[in-house]
Amino acid sequence: MADVKLSGVHKYYGNVHAVRGLDLTIGDGEFAVLVGPSGCGKSTLLRTIAGLEDPDDGTITIGGAVVNDLRPRERNIAMVFQNYALYPYLTVNDNIAFGLRARKTPEIEIRKRVGEAAEMLGIGSLLQRYPRQLSGGQRQRVAIGRAIVRKADLFLFDEPLSNLDAQLRDEMRTEIKRLHHEITTTMIYVTHDQVEAMTLADRIVLLRDGKIEQQGAPLELFEQPRTGFVAGFLGSPSINLIPATLKINGGGAAVVFESGGTMTLPSAKTTSLTSAEGRQVLVGIRPQHFSRAGGGSLRDGVVAYSAVADLIQPTGTRTFTTIKIGGVDVVAELQAHDVSRHGERIDLAIDLNRVVLIDPASGLVIA
Amino acid sequence: MKVGKLPARKVRILGLRYLGATVVTLLFLFPVYWLFMISFKTPDEIYHVPPLWVPAQIQFSNYYVLFKDGDVVAILNSLIVAGVSSGIAIVLGTLCAYSLARFGTGGENLAMWIISQRMIPPIAVVFPIFLLYVHFGMVDGFFGLILLYTAFNLPYVIWMMRGYIVDVPLELEESALVDGLNRWEVIWKVVFPMVRSGLMATSVFTFVFAWNDFLFALVLTRTEVITFPVQLTHYFGGQSNFWGKIAAMSVLGTLPIFVAVSVMQRYLVRGISLGAVKG
Amino acid sequence: MTLATSLNGAEQRRPSRLGRMLEDRLPYLIVAPAIFILLLVGLFPLIYSLVVSFQRITMTDNDTSFVGLLNYAELFRDTRLWASLGHTAIITAVALPLELLIGFLMAQLFIDRLPGRQLFVALLVLPTVISPIVAGATWRLMFDVRFGPIGQILSFFAGEPVRILWTVNPAYVYPAIIICEVWQWSPFMFLLLLAALSNVDQSQLEAAEIDGASYLRVLRAIILPSIAPVIAVACLIRGLDLVRIFDIIWALTEGGPGSMTETISLYTYVQGFSQFEISYTAAISFLVIALLTIITTLVLKRMELAR
Ligand SMILES: Nc1ncnc2c1ncn2[C@@H]1O[C@H](COP(=O)(O)OP(=O)(O)OP(=O)(O)O)[C@@H](O)[C@H]1O
Ligand SMILES: [Mg+2]
Repeated sequence: MADVKLSGVHKYYGNVHAVRGLDLTIGDGEFAVLVGPSGCGKSTLLRTIAGLEDPDDGTITIGGAVVNDLRPRERNIAMVFQNYALYPYLTVNDNIAFGLRARKTPEIEIRKRVGEAAEMLGIGSLLQRYPRQLSGGQRQRVAIGRAIVRKADLFLFDEPLSNLDAQLRDEMRTEIKRLHHEITTTMIYVTHDQVEAMTLADRIVLLRDGKIEQQGAPLELFEQPRTGFVAGFLGSPSINLIPATLKINGGGAAVVFESGGTMTLPSAKTTSLTSAEGRQVLVGIRPQHFSRAGGGSLRDGVVAYSAVADLIQPTGTRTFTTIKIGGVDVVAELQAHDVSRHGERIDLAIDLNRVVLIDPASGLVIA
Repeated sequence: MKVGKLPARKVRILGLRYLGATVVTLLFLFPVYWLFMISFKTPDEIYHVPPLWVPAQIQFSNYYVLFKDGDVVAILNSLIVAGVSSGIAIVLGTLCAYSLARFGTGGENLAMWIISQRMIPPIAVVFPIFLLYVHFGMVDGFFGLILLYTAFNLPYVIWMMRGYIVDVPLELEESALVDGLNRWEVIWKVVFPMVRSGLMATSVFTFVFAWNDFLFALVLTRTEVITFPVQLTHYFGGQSNFWGKIAAMSVLGTLPIFVAVSVMQRYLVRGISLGAVKG
Repeated sequence: MTLATSLNGAEQRRPSRLGRMLEDRLPYLIVAPAIFILLLVGLFPLIYSLVVSFQRITMTDNDTSFVGLLNYAELFRDTRLWASLGHTAIITAVALPLELLIGFLMAQLFIDRLPGRQLFVALLVLPTVISPIVAGATWRLMFDVRFGPIGQILSFFAGEPVRILWTVNPAYVYPAIIICEVWQWSPFMFLLLLAALSNVDQSQLEAAEIDGASYLRVLRAIILPSIAPVIAVACLIRGLDLVRIFDIIWALTEGGPGSMTETISLYTYVQGFSQFEISYTAAISFLVIALLTIITTLVLKRMELAR
């Protein structure tokens, strides 16, 4: 059990500055997910924590001890790799016991721990098989088993589920979450899948170009993104961004879309915008904040909007509909039967209480 | 593939191809067959006009003579020289290959220099080596010959093993490093098992190269460590009265190679094409 | 948990300072022995040779003063040297295409699935893996004018006694060498081409078949381009071997009759080990190395260009 602290960590690969002065603290027992687009430095950061890469600057602390000069094997960590890294010439049993044997653990203890892990992961009947005789999901379990028998201070995962098909991925995700509840070891988990990040994390660390864009609890990042990048990265389908101009009138504010049309912002949003008349913004509305207007009066901050349904993509539970706002294509997520035909005119309610306004120049969220 | 289910045209083509394959194989094997038969013939049968295609009976006197006169020592010498030198070349070459493959030691230049060593024609170096060996009293000794074959085979081993090691997923090694092994243990417990068959194949080929070499052995041996190809040429006289010995010695010198290569058939193509064709 | 923690403590392995150093230097430590041997046996003699080639050391005269490019100048006047290069070129120019062609035709026989193919291939590789000296010796026995089967077979087809002194008659020594060489190395080409042909994209071939393309068109448009890299590698490997051909000729003709089949390797050998022209041999060696380097570079260049 250990906490992890990084301060001022830099990593270069030749000219590529992969990690750029990163500070990060992960608490004891926390499940931290490093997420971000491809090439943003997630793997590099994880491998630096593991000791597989040496940082060019900065310090890394695990459980209070600086580990910069320690070999991977001296850091008492366990790691699960994207392609499972199972030894094809060893049985499942020997694969799981590999790390323990390397550390000269007594055979009795090894047998006990392998048994426990196999039971926990439901692979007890596979112990005598070779990796090539296993399915993808089973291999993944073995790889996780090999990590947990180590009883390491820290678990590292590098995109462990990316090679599985969608259904298996959901299943294994649940399994990993359950595992963390049972063994409560600190875990750092790399993924580029925002659904995995949202569902697994105690804390999401969103990386961009080798720096932390924002970190915090999943819903915090989702609901209060600091930048347009964060707003755009989390959430599926992705947030709609519509260019507009701010207009201040009296105590309230409204956005004027480029091709005409105006929406009045709720008062909670306007307090910070008093002197922003004429400012260019991107209006961020999540697909989830649309709904079919049910007649009657609208709540405060909810505006009515009438649109023509263009593309309709039903998923069974929900239906994604493309409409136009301010001349831009926008995706709205509606109930399954809210819309049925292309070209149908629909009356929508848009909840602007959770709208984000982004400064297009700096990318920062201003309200 | 069940022949019975094929249309008649296909069966005919298949039959023709079998015929062709058999003819070609017989054609290529005929000299080997001839060699074998001579090794079993009596002198009368060997020097019979017209030549006899089958000896009256299989008899081993040609082999017996080789053993009686002690000529088979040449085979033994070849075994020692080729065996020890490929063993050393394999160990040193594989370690070197690991470093090139994983740490990029010396960059592309070192790798290119090493393979260029393979391209140097033996004739261009054999003479200076001979002079140096004379100077250091290393002619006609096991040490000198083994050293030479080791050096001769190293580029091949390094080149081939680098290819096999590059194919080992890096994750396997990293996982072992995290799990508690040091680099030396990783080489032994992860890399070695992963490349074991490639290693075996490469060993066979280095053995064959050393075994088959003639030029170096011709120049650097006299009596003590004479190898089998050199021994063979001693039977080439003006007279052809050593035919039985030539044939028997050739058979003895070919059997080990044939067995070794047959076992390694799966790796044959990759082995002889310097890794360029993966077969 | 306490048990686990204490065990983890015991499981920590801290290596000694020496162990750490050995591990840190591992990339260099494991390269060193191999490189050392290569330098010792590969480079050292070359340097020695280079120095000697600028001196004037012969069997009788141990003169170590430097004479500049004298030996190299002499190379140009040495007609026997150029003749030996010519012989080497002839053998290479005839044998290499023949091996390639025969290897290709053999591969055609086996390209589609043929039950028992493994066995055929195992037998066919035999010539390639045996020692060239054995190959030469075998053909020496085969070619023998009285006791060899070749004459017998030819007589059978000709209907009259055919008596050819293959390894002595100037008209037949080259065919003899080339037959032996082609016999030994066509299977090499066959193996590589068979592997290459099996890797040709099947869907392309099927598409061509559906389009009704003729075999020649398919060969030109699909098969050859896709096996070209393998052909190039095979020719490079065999070409280099042919340029330094020694063993087969030693076993068959020893360069004779006269010096009619003397290749550059044999000539170098004679200069060195019979004439003991130390400096001159060194100069020849460098000529050979230079030639091979040029050929290799050219071939590699062309291969790069073709890609
Ligand atoms: N061994 C390496 N040599 C050179 N550059 C590298 C190396 N490894 C990573 N990089 C570069 O460092 C940057 C970060 O790479 P990293 O693998 O950490 O990305 P990632 O966030 O894990 O991406 P992905 O989601 O695709 O796995 C990238 O620009 C990558 O090209
Ligand atoms: Mg990655």
